[in-house]
Amino acid sequence: MARYILKRFSLMIVTLFIIITATFFLIHSLPGSPLQNAEKLTPELQAQILAQYGLDQPIHIQYFKYLGGLVQGDLGTSIANGQSVTGLLMNGFSASVFIGAQGLILGIVIGLILGVLAALKRNTWIDSFATGTSIIGVSVPSFVLAATLSYFIGVELGWLPANLWGTYEHTILPSIALSFPVVAQISRYVRTEMVEVLEQDYMRTAKAKGISRLAITVKHALRNALIPAVTVMGPLAAGIITGSLVVESIFAVPGMGKIFVDSITSKDYTMVMGSTIFYSVLIISALFIVDLLYGIIDPRIRISGAKE
Amino acid sequence: MSTEKTYTPELFEPIGQLEKRAEQLNRKQVGVWKDAWLRFRQNKGALIGVALLLVIGLLAIFGPLMNDHNWETQNLAIKNQSANIDGHYMGTDHFGRDLWQRVWYGAKISLEIAFLAVFLDVVIGVTIGGISGYFGGRIDMFIQRFIEVIYSIPNLIIIIMLLMWMEPGILAIAIAIALTGWVPMSRIVRAQILKLRSQEYVLAARTLGASHKRILLKHLIPNVMGPIIIAVTFSIPSAIFFEAFLSFIGLGIRPPEASLGLLISEGNQILQLFPHVLLWPALVLSVLMLAFNLVGDGLRDALDPRMKK
Amino acid sequence: MKKRKLVPFLAITLVASLGVTACSFGGGAKDDKDTLVIASRSEPKELDTAKTTDGPSGIVTANVQEGLYRHAKDGKSVEPALVDGEPQVSADKLTYTFKIRDAKWSDGKPVRAQDFEFAWKRTLTPETAAEYAMILWDLKNGRAFNEKKTAKVEDVGVKALDDKTLEVKLEKPLPYLKNLLAFPMYLPQREDIVKQYGKDFAKNAKANVYNGPYKLVDWKQKQSLTLEKNENYWDAATVKTKKIEIKVMTDASAAINAYTTGQVQVANVGGDFIQKYKDDKEAVAIKEPTSAMMIMNQKNKFLANTKVRQALQLAFDSKEYQQGVLQDKSTAAGGLVPGNVKGNGKDLEKLFRESAPAEPKFDVTEAKRLLAEGLKELGMDKAPELELIGDDTTSAKRHGEYVKDSFKKNLGVDVKISSLPFQQRRDRTTNGQFDLVAFLWQGDYNDAMSYLDLFVTGGPFNYAKWSNKEYDALIKKAQENKSGDSQERLDAMIQAEKILLDEAVIIPEYYRTMTYLVKPTVKDMVFSSEGFGEELSFKWVQKK
Repeated sequence: MARYILKRFSLMIVTLFIIITATFFLIHSLPGSPLQNAEKLTPELQAQILAQYGLDQPIHIQYFKYLGGLVQGDLGTSIANGQSVTGLLMNGFSASVFIGAQGLILGIVIGLILGVLAALKRNTWIDSFATGTSIIGVSVPSFVLAATLSYFIGVELGWLPANLWGTYEHTILPSIALSFPVVAQISRYVRTEMVEVLEQDYMRTAKAKGISRLAITVKHALRNALIPAVTVMGPLAAGIITGSLVVESIFAVPGMGKIFVDSITSKDYTMVMGSTIFYSVLIISALFIVDLLYGIIDPRIRISGAKE
Repeated sequence: MSTEKTYTPELFEPIGQLEKRAEQLNRKQVGVWKDAWLRFRQNKGALIGVALLLVIGLLAIFGPLMNDHNWETQNLAIKNQSANIDGHYMGTDHFGRDLWQRVWYGAKISLEIAFLAVFLDVVIGVTIGGISGYFGGRIDMFIQRFIEVIYSIPNLIIIIMLLMWMEPGILAIAIAIALTGWVPMSRIVRAQILKLRSQEYVLAARTLGASHKRILLKHLIPNVMGPIIIAVTFSIPSAIFFEAFLSFIGLGIRPPEASLGLLISEGNQILQLFPHVLLWPALVLSVLMLAFNLVGDGLRDALDPRMKK
Repeated sequence: MKKRKLVPFLAITLVASLGVTACSFGGGAKDDKDTLVIASRSEPKELDTAKTTDGPSGIVTANVQEGLYRHAKDGKSVEPALVDGEPQVSADKLTYTFKIRDAKWSDGKPVRAQDFEFAWKRTLTPETAAEYAMILWDLKNGRAFNEKKTAKVEDVGVKALDDKTLEVKLEKPLPYLKNLLAFPMYLPQREDIVKQYGKDFAKNAKANVYNGPYKLVDWKQKQSLTLEKNENYWDAATVKTKKIEIKVMTDASAAINAYTTGQVQVANVGGDFIQKYKDDKEAVAIKEPTSAMMIMNQKNKFLANTKVRQALQLAFDSKEYQQGVLQDKSTAAGGLVPGNVKGNGKDLEKLFRESAPAEPKFDVTEAKRLLAEGLKELGMDKAPELELIGDDTTSAKRHGEYVKDSFKKNLGVDVKISSLPFQQRRDRTTNGQFDLVAFLWQGDYNDAMSYLDLFVTGGPFNYAKWSNKEYDALIKKAQENKSGDSQERLDAMIQAEKILLDEAVIIPEYYRTMTYLVKPTVKDMVFSSEGFGEELSFKWVQKK
């Protein structure tokens, strides 16, 4: 196990390095100047400011300098406002991760419950309800949901804060908006798998042995049904990151989404690099966790012996 | 078992020459595709999905012929009308343009982008997945690492950068979506090929001297068609979604053009004042998504041998 | 065994992720009397007053710092702030001597004349790379020093005669000097603080000292700023509200939702929401010194033809645009200089537009005739497609949509819209890679000259690449103002604008008006439209 994790870890570092290199050269090749107010600057001033950020040097020197800083944990300063990239990221980090994690967990839990119930009570109202929820989740874009939730629940009904950040209540609506697609996917997968698993021979055997219904469902059925659900969790986690960009702006959540999109369009090199690294680490870790979970749930996948 | 029925010898008679009949199939012989079709036909949801797709497809083509307006002419005097007057079946938008026209025009553009993106997905995904799965070893490992990298970069950064390079239009957006969208496709193809290539008939073909190209194209790819088709039906709605998302954050199709995502984004800005501008495109988009998902589910049930019972 | 691991694993993940945020719920957005919450559309970019260029930063600096003058409670004029009494003015109106009143910085040290001298010279120092240093070019030798030419730092016309006396020397008489002195670049800075923090100066709340009504206590980038009453402020008795929170909310409907539910008490409304609130008592309209126009690139052969340009100018209906698309309280424009900008003629307070009214013109028939003539002169039988470049914001896209439809409908001219990210749009504008560009100009100071000098031959913002000797001569005459007759100066400017409009160098669109929503509980919130963008002053604000 430890060896496997070590190996995975070193692969993650290599992946990250490639991402950093690719993004660095890509973003520097984009057209346009990174200076915010170049319109009002004389050419000498522009050159001077570029020099302050070391942008006047040849690209490969800049690249090695950046890597050097990175090794020491220095992500540089944002060109747009001269503040430290690490500080900017840390500001948005907790809010983004909180609504993301809460949305994901909420989605998984509700999705699991709905999926299992739907499979156990096939063709009842519970099944229809689960199917209905999953249909809404797959077919209504999360930004439409987010805007509708914010306006109707937040403004018209006034049950929860329409947006902004501050108390726990503020996190509920954004998390719900993010959780919908997760609920949809998970409940669909779990239901399909459960239906299949329930018809397997070993289920009949278990029943014949007199094991309680609950124990059968949890121990045998759910566990097997979880395997495919875990596979989709990686993409789902990545999807939540994308979804959070819009959800954050609709709910005025002080997260990273806006920082990210802004930094690319305004060519704030250091900021783009910083947020890319941040998101990449998140995605890579999510994939890694999913892999580990996979091994835990399905003993057939022997992590310790896994080889390429 | 406990039925009290008496069996008498008269009820039984010999069937005679066994060997001859043993080879004969009583059931009508059905090919894979025919079999799938039979299965698909019985799936009510899938049929509803097909029907919905047909309706939307026809409306996207013929809807614009159904009133006397067009999708781009502005008339500020009648902006944001929600009522159906003067042939504005869905009312008008913030420029007084006919929403009926814009919704169907937008649906057409959204579908075009999605189909184009998925076509590119298939081309790239099948090629890379096929090569990776068939040759295995070093090549496979290299490709898998590459995919891991692609997968770990937030896809938005690639897309935004591409859209800053290219003129944002149908092609650019389709390419942007396909640029990261081919990964799942390639994974599916690779997994299938890995499974198939070790089977006897491939070994047989190889022993008989068939080239790599022939084995891939004649033996493996046709057998992977099922999963590919399923993946395609699920890729189309996600491409439509992604286009909508890009439009929503202002990186997709540029106004005054229209796509479902752009229309939704425009409607969202005035949701509190004129909800109908959001309602119609959101409804069409949702129905479209639903239809593709139903059809995809139906196809999976019909084509995926694992599900055969 | 495996399963037993799964449950704790999930539990740990959950607890960890929730734990991360436990700390982020600091103070909630409570609606109490002592705290005023404002929604801002964007985040301050630079709070070092030597380098500030944007509106949101201006709002912060105007409330946490104080210069010789500040914008008054009426929102229009400037009033004495740190200046003690009227300055002494020399006979040639070139030397001013200011007395500084007793005032303290937030760390208890006194505000001295040297703080002004240091700050102004720092802004002018080329190495500071202050983008708006030109605001200080009116100081004697200011420009020469800033552009690394002849003058040295000690030649610059600002000098602390002692701790309480500041002597200012000018290049030329400035009728609007007091307005200028209320600008961020004219605020004082403490040399020891700037040296102490170096690169980090003013980059966070702690890395500066404050001498205004409020002090900055917290700054969460891209999220929020917190201002608290500055007990060391010389006029602290006037300041009623203890705490101001500025929330950065980029999504327009998010700001509206927060305002509607009372989480913020002051919000900027744009676009469509204005119609919902336009005549509401809560809506406050603030006229900005901002002129919106389209500039036609005369490097394009087609647009180099005056008749063609006149045709395009007449085919844009600025009234319809204002009523139907902008839907706010902006004014449809007929000229370049906005209605609230001074002419500084004989009557210093009289507005430029009052002396030179310019009605919006719209005439499709005449436009068609002119276009046909223009095409004939050019020997073309059809107008080429024109590319209009603009920002990729919602309002800029809508502008493009309207222009495209107008020119097509009224003239049969095809327009291609390119919505570009800010930097790209700007680069293409400066490099002349466009046919039409949507252009907003906010004057640097309250005088028509701040708009008119844009279009002199070779001017850096003369994106039209237009050149007219008569125009250049008139602008030069007004700038030099050799006779010292302010009416003559005004006449020259009026004549210059007329040439600019007759030659159809620009297509005037509107003079911008911002709309703010202010809850009825908020009293004496002051909006002023001077300086960089709209400015909010919290010095007098009270919440009931």
